[in-house]
Amino acid sequence: MMTDTPAHPGLISLQGIGKRYQLAGQHLSILNDVCLSVARGDSCGILGASGSGKSTLLNILGLLDLPNCGQYRFAGHDIFSASPDELAAIRNQQIGFVFQSFNLLPRLSALDNVALPLSYRGVSRHESVEQALRMLEQVGLAERAHHRPADLSGGQRQRVAIARALVGKPSVILADEPTGNLDSSTAQDIMDLLLALNREQQVTLIIVTHDAHIAERLERKILVRNGVVHEAGRP
Amino acid sequence: MSLRVEQSLSQLLHEAFVSLRTLGKRSILALLGIVIGSSSVVALINIGHNAAVDAALIFKDMGTDTLVAQFPPKADSSVPMRARLDLDAVRQAVPGIAHIGALSLFSGPIVFQGRSVNANFVGSTPDIPAALRLALREGRFLSAFDANETYGVIGDQIAQALGAPGAPLKLGDRVRINDYLFQVVGILHHQPRAMLMPVQANESLFIPADGMRRIYASPQIGNVIIRAAPGQDMERIARDAAAALQRQLTEHSVDITVPQQMIDGMTRQSRTFAYLLLALGAISLVGGGVGVMNVMLMNVSERRREIGIRMALGARQRDIRNLFLLEAITLTAVGALCGAVLGMTAAWLYAWLSGWAFALAVAALPLGVGSTLLVGLFFGIYPAVSASRLQPVEALRDE
Repeated sequence: MMTDTPAHPGLISLQGIGKRYQLAGQHLSILNDVCLSVARGDSCGILGASGSGKSTLLNILGLLDLPNCGQYRFAGHDIFSASPDELAAIRNQQIGFVFQSFNLLPRLSALDNVALPLSYRGVSRHESVEQALRMLEQVGLAERAHHRPADLSGGQRQRVAIARALVGKPSVILADEPTGNLDSSTAQDIMDLLLALNREQQVTLIIVTHDAHIAERLERKILVRNGVVHEAGRP
Repeated sequence: MSLRVEQSLSQLLHEAFVSLRTLGKRSILALLGIVIGSSSVVALINIGHNAAVDAALIFKDMGTDTLVAQFPPKADSSVPMRARLDLDAVRQAVPGIAHIGALSLFSGPIVFQGRSVNANFVGSTPDIPAALRLALREGRFLSAFDANETYGVIGDQIAQALGAPGAPLKLGDRVRINDYLFQVVGILHHQPRAMLMPVQANESLFIPADGMRRIYASPQIGNVIIRAAPGQDMERIARDAAAALQRQLTEHSVDITVPQQMIDGMTRQSRTFAYLLLALGAISLVGGGVGVMNVMLMNVSERRREIGIRMALGARQRDIRNLFLLEAITLTAVGALCGAVLGMTAAWLYAWLSGWAFALAVAALPLGVGSTLLVGLFFGIYPAVSASRLQPVEALRDE
């Protein structure tokens, strides 16, 4: 069962989002009054120094963390009133994650890693393996399907991770420093792949990075500084 | 909007298979704990069962399945007791009788090669050796065809006393009672003292019931011995047999005592056995269960990141809980099966070493395997639930 597609074009809309942590009795304010909207098909870079709160913003965008205040609508769903199970279903069906450290499951083969998201939406084993194999073909790794992640190079692992993010046909791909652990030519390939997906399949792309070259290739640049967000090139 | 989707069965089976395959060294120790727990339950139940069977055999040898009937004369009667009873009629009237025999007793000196010993002369019907549990060392017992023969089967102690050093009493020798010579056709093994029996086989010479008239002018039946088939209600057999015997008697009443105290003792003793073994089994099972919990908790903390990744990919709390529960159950199931095999082997070895007959306790396998699985489930639930309660962002954070 797929979640409904929203009536209005704004896929993601954040209003007055704040996030605080309590650490050793002290209140730490990570994000303050964040307002942001992303439309379907956008490609955004989230830029900022270490500790600026950009990873926290990404976790909130990806429904891995809940903000303390504000309003967040994702594809028409009010995130504050959704149950944990509904949040899991939205993650499963609408969001594809790509992490800096790949985050593949070491015990599973590349194929099983890619097929994993489908298992959480009731697809049978046979069918999910078929779709996963098609996805691996698309990222050019069909002949490595039965290798464990440990037997793959960094670039290959990130390709498997991208295939896993795409297998559920999500509307958004959230990437946290996707090229951070890769050499520059491999990083180039991975970025080409992500941008091609954005261009050809209209997948919304949100990439956290501190690399200005990568940010250059994206349409929108969102700057995070001391928990405050503003967009470059916009008032 | 419906967001409720269950993982399909094929996916669950695949997860279980992967976790079984990658169980690895990580879980060998826990597996060992479970195997020991499960095998000790299986072995203890089985050893206990064999011990109880052996103990019951000892009690049976003492005569808990045997009834002795006496025939006191009625108040104003002076008619002697009859010399014959229709035992087949009693056997047909009362179901559950394995053996029934009648005894007539007399005592006097027995002479062989000038040596004389006092002995009981026991006039026996053919079923008496089975009813009294007599075991022959040599020769044979008296049969229905020996009714008119001067044959005798001699008890161990009398045989020893009549023999001389270097020239023991042998089969075919003739012993003298009054003016009659009786040919020895069988010699009995030494018998333990039977507390409830009217005769001590060691000090007796068994001769055909009809032959008693040669020694004693008016033989009377002193006792009827009834041995019940296994698992019978002794009270019922005593009541029915008394009624059946009474029908053949006019001047005597029938008095049958049930060895109730011994039966009670046997029941109490086997209950004590069962409780003791249950406690031992439970303790070792709990030990195994704590092992499962240990490994599963370690498993959860080792795989925090995996839990976070699965949650980011859309796993719900219950999917994570099921994953770890499935692993705990797979682990305990493998452990329980190995334990069942090991436990059975241990029980068989123990029975073999202590010289008992090995009998499979029906309850041992289902109880041992079932309780191990329950323990695995019980101790697997806490780690599984604590894994499912993790927030995705906390689980994903670098350890």
